[in-house]
Amino acid sequence: MHNTCTAGGGRLKKEGRKGGPRKSRPKEFEELHYEPRSVRELLTEMKDISDLIVDLAYSALIFDSKEMAEEVRDLEIKMDKLNYQIRLTAMIASRSLHDAESLTGILQIAEAAQHISDAAGDIVDLISEEIDTRPFLPFVLRNADEKFNAVRVFPESELVGRTIADMKIETTTGAHIIAIKRRSGWVFDPDPRSTVRGNDIAIIRGTEDGYSKFFKVARGKQEVEGK
Amino acid sequence: MSDEGRSSRPTPTEDLGFSNITKDLLELKDTSELMVDLAYSALLYDNEDIANEIICLEDIADAIEREVVLKALKDVEQKGDPHRNFVMVRLAQAMEMIADAGASMADVVLRDIEKNPVLRLSLRDSKIIITAVRVSKTSSLNGKSLGEVRLASESGMWIVAMRRDKSYIYGPDENTVMKVGDQLIARGPKEGVPILREMAGCAKRLGIEECE
Repeated sequence: MHNTCTAGGGRLKKEGRKGGPRKSRPKEFEELHYEPRSVRELLTEMKDISDLIVDLAYSALIFDSKEMAEEVRDLEIKMDKLNYQIRLTAMIASRSLHDAESLTGILQIAEAAQHISDAAGDIVDLISEEIDTRPFLPFVLRNADEKFNAVRVFPESELVGRTIADMKIETTTGAHIIAIKRRSGWVFDPDPRSTVRGNDIAIIRGTEDGYSKFFKVARGKQEVEGK
Repeated sequence: MSDEGRSSRPTPTEDLGFSNITKDLLELKDTSELMVDLAYSALLYDNEDIANEIICLEDIADAIEREVVLKALKDVEQKGDPHRNFVMVRLAQAMEMIADAGASMADVVLRDIEKNPVLRLSLRDSKIIITAVRVSKTSSLNGKSLGEVRLASESGMWIVAMRRDKSYIYGPDENTVMKVGDQLIARGPKEGVPILREMAGCAKRLGIEECE
């Protein structure tokens, strides 16, 4: 018997997707329409997503966070839409063979960014596997060149009440904040102007040294340098 | 929070018998990410040397992925634990996909067509950017290793590659020593650029191009 994707049969129905139902493809594409935005703007947004999405995907697995996995899926859909937009925009902008040639390079980069986001989507799909199937993952992510860590910001830390940009956290500690978990929920890829609160848990990426610097400041044991 | 507790617990990977594959995965992750960083650098500077290195790294990434799959299959055969090995194989495939994306970007650099100026502008507009600085005679970096000066944690900038005379050091580590005249290609937030330039002894009034 052939596998089928329609309801009522097929292996997906039987085994179920533990990660929850995914928005169906046709619906995603129904919403697509042309928006007049520049190729430059679209490509920048795609690059920014591709920089973030892989870190979020790995974090979702090590911290076993369904919300983070959901954010990755949303970003993946956004990336698909952006790739569609950039193709439309490039076609409209192309008036000669010369234009077309130089735009194919841009579209290839956009395509690569989308492949990166697809890879991130594949990574978070693994969240539906039991957590004890990935005991090796913390080892991989802690020993990589740039490591992932979760750090709680103590209420007495001088970070509290200040913005990420204000405290120059990234440049003085080298720790890149991927996400923040607080009582009200997750903040993904926090804006540099957003304020750090007491008991926030920051998911950071950086060197061991960057982690220990951030850790000390977050515990309120050390002041941020170069203020 | 339970998340924090779980993550801070050390993982006795050696006891799991997976250490071999785990090391491969670690290498594949670092390789794939280096490839993407290098790809953006190659695109920004239209640099074919870097692009060629990426193509070479792609072969390495492919070989590691193959190793992971073979070892995982062998492990299943011997111990019969398909689930863990399934997760490892899928991860390796995802990492390899990222490596391919890097290679596909390098391909744009190597293709003999005029580069669209928009590409460079987009890369400069991003939140995380690529920059290059040259280590000057007055720089405190001269003769020091990346680890010694704690470059990443002092500036927020991550060194992707170093150019010395005509050769490159790709993905330098903490033991890599910097010398006068070295060109450092770095990735990080815009705010880190002036800090890195200062460390490299590049006068603030000089334009970016003069420092590169």
